[in-house]
Amino acid sequence: MAGEGCGRWKIVREMVAVLLILLVAVVSSSGAEMQRLVPREVAGWKASGEDRTFDRKTVFDYLDGGAEVYLAYDFRRLLTRHFVKPGQGRVIADVFDMGSSKDAFGIFSFEREGKDVGIGRDSEYAAGLLRFWKGTYFVAVTAERETPSSRSVAISLGRAIAAAISASGERPDLLAALPGSNLMPLSVRYFHQASSLDYHYFVADQNILNLSKRTEAVIARYAVKGGKPCVLLLVRYPNAAAARGALRKFVAAYMPEAGSKGITRTENGRWTAARCKRRVVVAVFDSPAERGARSLLDAAVARLQRRIQ
Amino acid sequence: MRARTGNLTRRDFLRGMTGAAVAAAFGLPLAGERRKGGKRATVVLVRDEHAVDEQGRVSAPVVRRMLDDAVAALVGEKDMVGAWSRLVRRDDLVGIKTNVWANLHTPAEVESALRGRVIGAGVPAERVLIDDSGAMRTLAHCTALINVRPVRTHHWAGIGGCIKNYATFVPDPSVYHPDSCADLAAIWSLPTVKRKTRLNVLVALTPQFWGRGPHYFDPRYVWPYKGIMVSFDPVAVDAVGAHLVRTKRVLYFGEDKPITPTKHIAVAETKYGLGVADLSRIELIRLGWKKDALI
Repeated sequence: MAGEGCGRWKIVREMVAVLLILLVAVVSSSGAEMQRLVPREVAGWKASGEDRTFDRKTVFDYLDGGAEVYLAYDFRRLLTRHFVKPGQGRVIADVFDMGSSKDAFGIFSFEREGKDVGIGRDSEYAAGLLRFWKGTYFVAVTAERETPSSRSVAISLGRAIAAAISASGERPDLLAALPGSNLMPLSVRYFHQASSLDYHYFVADQNILNLSKRTEAVIARYAVKGGKPCVLLLVRYPNAAAARGALRKFVAAYMPEAGSKGITRTENGRWTAARCKRRVVVAVFDSPAERGARSLLDAAVARLQRRIQ
Repeated sequence: MRARTGNLTRRDFLRGMTGAAVAAAFGLPLAGERRKGGKRATVVLVRDEHAVDEQGRVSAPVVRRMLDDAVAALVGEKDMVGAWSRLVRRDDLVGIKTNVWANLHTPAEVESALRGRVIGAGVPAERVLIDDSGAMRTLAHCTALINVRPVRTHHWAGIGGCIKNYATFVPDPSVYHPDSCADLAAIWSLPTVKRKTRLNVLVALTPQFWGRGPHYFDPRYVWPYKGIMVSFDPVAVDAVGAHLVRTKRVLYFGEDKPITPTKHIAVAETKYGLGVADLSRIELIRLGWKKDALI
């Protein structure tokens, strides 16, 4: 029996070893794939030093203070490669595998503020920083010192990386529920968790909308003539029961006087309204008029019915 | 509607019914009268228009003088040997907990000025240590700490200030990240740092009021404020620092851009009793250059 036991253990050990080798091979090819996306030389700027890669556990070692933003999405892996040219400082390419094109868009949208510069699916450039997303990747190219040369190489590097990413990637389908009229396009953010909502539009210090990594949320601002913009928030839950529960919790915590009407005038004289449609909660904040709040809510719900499962 | 649920919502701020500490936590300083009762704190803000030149170079002699003026006002002693002798003992092992973040670090001129004053108070040079990332190893045995760093906005904590500067005294700072880094002040209760801090210096020579990109730094969003704040109270000096960067942000953008609430500052007072977060209970002593002081 002892001999049989030893034999079984030997087989198990060999199977585990094979699995480990396969796992390492998969992980390594993932790292190699990311390395392949980034050229080693662009316009006289050459790669300098060893590439560095980080995962969800080690990313804090590289992003001092910024890692949590990425961890609030499905961030998988980061590759960073530095480029130098004598007398010109450094340009850094950071390539993030975000696990899905939705989250690649999401992290791009998190702090988008500028016009598209035509790289990848969406992009922007300002003050030495190029940001874009394509496929499941979000890419940031940073010139430590912005000069005409570093700006040019940042753009060229971005184009080369974008060209090497074969899959295009789709934006989150929930964006289709945003009514187009008066939408401020640069204000559209896609995210999952309460911490991200806090950042974009503080609602409460507790998670009164039951946001989690399993929820998808879109927030956007809408221009209001002669006044501050109002805000539209959509949250999609795993199922309709979860959405109804979240709406009840939100109404109880944020606008208990609204009750089943689902609309109230808040202390700044503006209107907040919320409703549930299938597995999506739709909320409007800071509308200057009751009619406007209802109208925006109705428009979003109508688009949900037509375009979103 | 806090009364019904225990939550603090946006509406509470709109109604103006929140407690002062909580208002500070969300970057909403209270205006108007000084509140009665409760612990108080003092923060000294000193500014000098020659502290930083147009190329961003820091003037060592100007910074030294600014620190001297600020410490004199805080301690109530004009003679620097006397003033610093109240902060450190000759037999102390003094750790200067600095900050080396590549984009906006504690200027060497500030570190040097502090080190010089500690040595001037009689502490042997070899017993004055300076570190940041290795603090857990190199500064843990110090008997006195001087806490110094620049003030900047921070993705997750709202601001990086004196409270957060002790994060490198723990092996895994990310443990303190949940809930907008609310429990950062817990680090201050650890034996390696508890009751050791003799002075907090929040450098506002070129504060950062907004950020972008993976490293959350964008050179467009720092400005030459040319100030330094000192306090015995890390919470108070951070509350004033948060107020400053928020005020600048509103001025620059014409509205307050979304940013993570500085919850850890309020929690440092309400949960940990580390200091005073309520701006109405903080006496701000302003010295030097007054132009564009903002606060």
